[in-house]
Amino acid sequence: MVRFTLRRLGAGVVLLFAISTIAYLLLYLSGGDIARTILGQSASQETVDLKAEELGLNEPLIPRYLGWLKGAVTGDFGRSWFSSQPVTELISSRLAVTLSLVIGTIIITAIVAVAIGVWAARKRGAADRVIQVLSILGFAIPSFLIAIALVNVFALNLGWFKPTGYVQIGTSVTGWLGSVTLPIIALSIGAVAAVAQQVRGSVIDALRQDWVRTLRSRGVRENKVVYKHVLRNAGGPALAVLALQFVGLLGGAVIVEQIFAIPGLGPISILATSQGDLPVVMGLVVAIGLIVVLVNLVIDLLQGFLNPKVRLS
Amino acid sequence: MSNAAEVSLETAENAGRRSHLVRRMLKNPTGLFAIISIVVILLVAIFAPLLTSQDPDYADIRNILASPGGDHLLGTDSAGRDVWARLVFATRYSLMGAALATVLSAIIGVTSGLVAGYYGRWFESLAAWLTSLIMALPGIVVLLATRAVIGPTLWGAMTVFGILLAPAFYRLTHAAVVGVRGELYVDAARVAGVKDASIIGRHILAVVRAPVIIQAATVTIIAIAIQAGLGFIGMSDPNIPTWGGMLNDAFSRMYQQPVLLIWPSAMIALASVAFALFASSLRDELERSGGAKKLKGKAKAAAAAAVDTSGEPPVVHAELEESDAPVLLEVSDLVVGYDQPDGSLTQVVNGVSLAVRKGEVHGLIGESGSGKTQTAFSILGLLPEGGRVAAGSIVFEGDELSEKSPKAMRRIQGKKISYIPQEPMSNLDPSFTIGSQLVEPIRETLGLSAKDAKDRALDLLAKVGLPDPEKTFRSYPHEVSGGQAQRVLIAGAISCEPDLVIADEPTTALDVTVQAEILDLLRGLQKELDVAVLMVTHNFGVVADLCDRVSVMQNGRIVETGPARSIFAGPRHPYTKSLFDAILEDGAARGPLAHAADRNTNAGGAK
Amino acid sequence: MFSKKRALVATTAAFAVAALAGCSGGSSSDPTTSGDGGTGSGDAVRGELLTLGVISQVTSFAAANSNWANESPMMQAVYDSLLKMEPDGTIVANLATDWSWSEDRLTLTLDLRDDVTFSDGQALTADVAAQNVLRFRDGTSPNASNLGRVADATAVDEDTVAITLSEPDPALETYLTQNAGLQESPAAFDTADVDTIPVGSGAYVLNTGETVAGTSYVFDANADYWNPEDQHYDKIVMNVYSDTTAMLNAVQGGQVNIAGVADNTQLEQMYAAGYSDVSNELDWTGLILGDRGGVLNPALGDAKVRQAIAYAFDRDAILQAFVAGNGTVTGQIFPTYSPSFDAALDERYPYDPEMSKQLLQEAGYASGLEISMPKTSGLPEAWFTLIQQQLADVGITVVYDDLPITDFIGDMVAGKYPATYMILQQDPTDWQLASFQIAAASTFNFNHYEDPTVEGLIGDLQVGDEAAGAELNQYLVEQAWFVPFYRVLNVKVVDANTTAEAQVGNTWPYLWTIKPVA
Repeated sequence: MVRFTLRRLGAGVVLLFAISTIAYLLLYLSGGDIARTILGQSASQETVDLKAEELGLNEPLIPRYLGWLKGAVTGDFGRSWFSSQPVTELISSRLAVTLSLVIGTIIITAIVAVAIGVWAARKRGAADRVIQVLSILGFAIPSFLIAIALVNVFALNLGWFKPTGYVQIGTSVTGWLGSVTLPIIALSIGAVAAVAQQVRGSVIDALRQDWVRTLRSRGVRENKVVYKHVLRNAGGPALAVLALQFVGLLGGAVIVEQIFAIPGLGPISILATSQGDLPVVMGLVVAIGLIVVLVNLVIDLLQGFLNPKVRLS
Repeated sequence: MSNAAEVSLETAENAGRRSHLVRRMLKNPTGLFAIISIVVILLVAIFAPLLTSQDPDYADIRNILASPGGDHLLGTDSAGRDVWARLVFATRYSLMGAALATVLSAIIGVTSGLVAGYYGRWFESLAAWLTSLIMALPGIVVLLATRAVIGPTLWGAMTVFGILLAPAFYRLTHAAVVGVRGELYVDAARVAGVKDASIIGRHILAVVRAPVIIQAATVTIIAIAIQAGLGFIGMSDPNIPTWGGMLNDAFSRMYQQPVLLIWPSAMIALASVAFALFASSLRDELERSGGAKKLKGKAKAAAAAAVDTSGEPPVVHAELEESDAPVLLEVSDLVVGYDQPDGSLTQVVNGVSLAVRKGEVHGLIGESGSGKTQTAFSILGLLPEGGRVAAGSIVFEGDELSEKSPKAMRRIQGKKISYIPQEPMSNLDPSFTIGSQLVEPIRETLGLSAKDAKDRALDLLAKVGLPDPEKTFRSYPHEVSGGQAQRVLIAGAISCEPDLVIADEPTTALDVTVQAEILDLLRGLQKELDVAVLMVTHNFGVVADLCDRVSVMQNGRIVETGPARSIFAGPRHPYTKSLFDAILEDGAARGPLAHAADRNTNAGGAK
Repeated sequence: MFSKKRALVATTAAFAVAALAGCSGGSSSDPTTSGDGGTGSGDAVRGELLTLGVISQVTSFAAANSNWANESPMMQAVYDSLLKMEPDGTIVANLATDWSWSEDRLTLTLDLRDDVTFSDGQALTADVAAQNVLRFRDGTSPNASNLGRVADATAVDEDTVAITLSEPDPALETYLTQNAGLQESPAAFDTADVDTIPVGSGAYVLNTGETVAGTSYVFDANADYWNPEDQHYDKIVMNVYSDTTAMLNAVQGGQVNIAGVADNTQLEQMYAAGYSDVSNELDWTGLILGDRGGVLNPALGDAKVRQAIAYAFDRDAILQAFVAGNGTVTGQIFPTYSPSFDAALDERYPYDPEMSKQLLQEAGYASGLEISMPKTSGLPEAWFTLIQQQLADVGITVVYDDLPITDFIGDMVAGKYPATYMILQQDPTDWQLASFQIAAASTFNFNHYEDPTVEGLIGDLQVGDEAAGAELNQYLVEQAWFVPFYRVLNVKVVDANTTAEAQVGNTWPYLWTIKPVA
């Protein structure tokens, strides 16, 4: 297990290196006139040239990249070109906010999707239709539209929540709950639809297994059969989907955070990518890459836990 | 999207049975709606120029944001362009863009999935690595770079996303191919010298075809949604009308002319819903085709025999000696059937009566499809989904079982009546250790403490002749052999001191040498515990070995019943006779009829 | 995965519009040659908390690298400037109590207050002020070139600083009321955090604990502030709303006291939520026909072709189509508050496609003409389409180059296109306007066309001949160097508990004019 973990982490490092190299190259290609973009239209060309010089924009690609890599290896991702903030600080403070949204969404999604999926798998018929309608809606309605609708109804009309902003959990737990409820709902709807459908399918498959009948024949309670045995066997594929959702939600949170003005990675992702703020974008690429690697690792370990046949020794 | 990436392998297995799928989908209202919607959208896209006389690009500055009506069916947008004209042309371009992304990702994903799945090796590792790379690569960065290098075209964006979405097809294809790679027919083809390309084309592609179509519908939805998202953030193609571009324009005038939001949203929603329904009804049809087929075969055989429920009375052999043991189980005129979608009932057991006395071994013998397993399941209260006791009674220790709820039955299962299945490996939950699966019912049924239950389980494992109970206790099902697993299942069946054990072909799935050992074990245990056994089998050897009494079943009815010795001495019913003749001819322990099919019956009953 | 792609693909038009439209930086009006001490009297009401909804994050908190315009509220919270501008443009004393020009207008001498300390306890001295001026000149503020004519700045004595120029600059005092005049503690100059942690003498101090850079800036009142009359709140929070919908939601939810409006079509909703507007007209928008020399496109070297283009646009319709009427049509780039503004010039080129075609025919382009222009997804696509259509109606074909927002201005000022659509600031002094978008050397004369008449008039402006401005304006309109469509309405909305005064030449009201209602 330890060796497996280490090997996967090693592969993850190689992956991160590849991603960051590709991203750096792509950003370099899409470059644009960064110094001018930073300074805006009122700056004179002399100031723009000075800025470009200061940021090392005139250096060729290779030394620039190597310089970035050298810093990155030591944990120094430089400072934002557009806000002068140290990238590490900027991202780490916001990552927690985004992760709290995403993890909250994943928890809600897992609970709701399992409940709905198992329900549909056991009842079939009408429940199945509900799932299908849900998943189609989840597909057809982008989360930003859901978010806008939620703000209008629950924040502006009913006044139950603040329409924008974020309260640190340390400041006030209820305040925090109030500030993340709508965003989490907006994010959850699509995710629940996708995961519930997967849970339903896997549970139906698992319920057809012979050992389900055998367990029942031994007098094991039905809830135990379903929630302990069937669910654990159905868990593998569902977990894989949940992992994909996790990665997807990191992105989905971007626009939802933007709409709710939540200080997560969303607003800076949008700003940094549209402005071409290379240090920040690269920091985000590495951070998200790292999360993807870790999530995949955790999922693999969990899969091993769920399914002894693929358990890794 | 991910749920579609995981289209179940079962679907893949059923892919071969696609005949008339389209016709069936057209009969299904959901499928019909989906297909009609898709056709309409496609027609709009193809005949866009014929549907409007307005130029979609002509901007009339003096007629911006016009309301619907007059020359402009749906009004005009913020640049005074005709919304209807833009909508129909946007349908054309957006669909072409979505098609580009879908086709590209399908080509890349399916090809690499086939190659990686079929040949494996380094290509598989490389593809897996690339998949994680693509997953972790931020799409926005790729997209911005593409825009910077080749301009903000829809085709560029859709090409990028086509590549980024390829893993969805890759995973699906790869999993399906790995699933069939080892299948016999593929091996056979390979041994026969069929070229790889031809194997892939003929056998493997056929397996993934349907799931790929489902996935393609899903990817199309994603591509459409991405276009909408790009429009929302102002990154749609500015040079051609697209749904995303119209959405962007509408967003910018959301407070002046909100109606503008409706048209592109409606088209996006219609297209997404149509493709989603298409995918889900196709999936439904595939799942149904798998189940329905199995049912048909069985149902026909059963239905043919059920013409007359009362039927011919069984041949009853006289009792050799009057038994004073009380009757434990009495089944009378049992009818088991499966409800059909059209409301009819397909009978599989047509009026069976039998009795099992305490401590007696009663053999229930017959060929596949004769209803013996269904009879056993109905006694256990564990008929497959859709099956029910339609008539007759099952009285156990004076208690009517057929009317009990599943919950009430649970108190009898295990404790009073237990079950030894046919196939040892598939009857153990692969995710839990053997020990925990033994301990769980013991604790629940007998209410023992964790430690006592464990001790008992270890005792049982020793009792069923496992050499190292501790080790087996800790093992997972995949870590033991079939014979060991069957011993574990026997231990499980007797773990809660039942009065009746229903053994469903307990030796059929085992090697011949192991069969004898297991029979010995059963015989020993039965004597030791003085437990009644209902032995479901098609093997007269087993019957001769163990049974006190025999009932012969054919077509859901008992045709001959009586003490084992009498029947062996003088079978009277032609069917029984034919069974004996078959044994004599073959000299084999197995019955004359394909028994592989019989194995499926316990799972297959109906869906 | 699907939502990831959709969402990570994230750039907003809002950002881009803000970047283009909100850039009006420098400004001033009627510079006075001297001023007396004392600031406007504030009323006694003091509020607990002021919340601003702003549309951009802070680029740098270092005075030497600071931005103005959209970032002026953040800078004004923590820094004081040497001079101060009233909402109407009058320049009054601030850190400098008195100032005077030398005879040759090459040396400005300022007397400083002696009771000002920075938030780190350092004292403001003439030497510190001189260093700040030079650091700004040499820094990377977008407005660094405002001090481009500063030859040197020296301390004459403990509280007198002299700024010497290489050539006259009539706008220097105005610059010193803006970011060029911000004073930062010398102890902060060389620290690593100079760009993120401001050390000024301003009315407020950045609360680094509560601030989430880029999202929310929190300022606490400076207890030792030398000028409490300009300190109206105990605490100020400036929330960044990079999405216009989020901004509207914040306004409708009553979460901000004063907010910048990036999308004027939302105004009705904001009024309905009980907010009122504080507005001015900052920018002009229209075409810059930069290739007056006909280098890239010979046709544009012909005044008749340029005039033909000017006749091709229906400005009233454009104002409605572009911004729903939130602005005023105009035909000149000079602002209404310039003495050179001439209302008659707005009528010089009425919408007249026939006249346009006729002029093209006279210039020899009867069969049509092709002009290449840049376009960007950062601005509404409909605008570019309408411009293209208006010109197509008179026979001019516009061929657009699609540029990423990050290249739009860069490629434009690099002179890659003969003409472009643009939104540009209307500097309040003719001299500033000329230095920024008219003179051969200016940034937005991007093909650097040199016209002797124009250069002569600008030379007159530099030495204080205000009459030259009117003549220049007249000449540019006649020559059709620019084809302005309208002046853009710049709006901030305030709630019922707050008042503010629009500032001449700046997008944001100056911070001390934002007060609680008594």
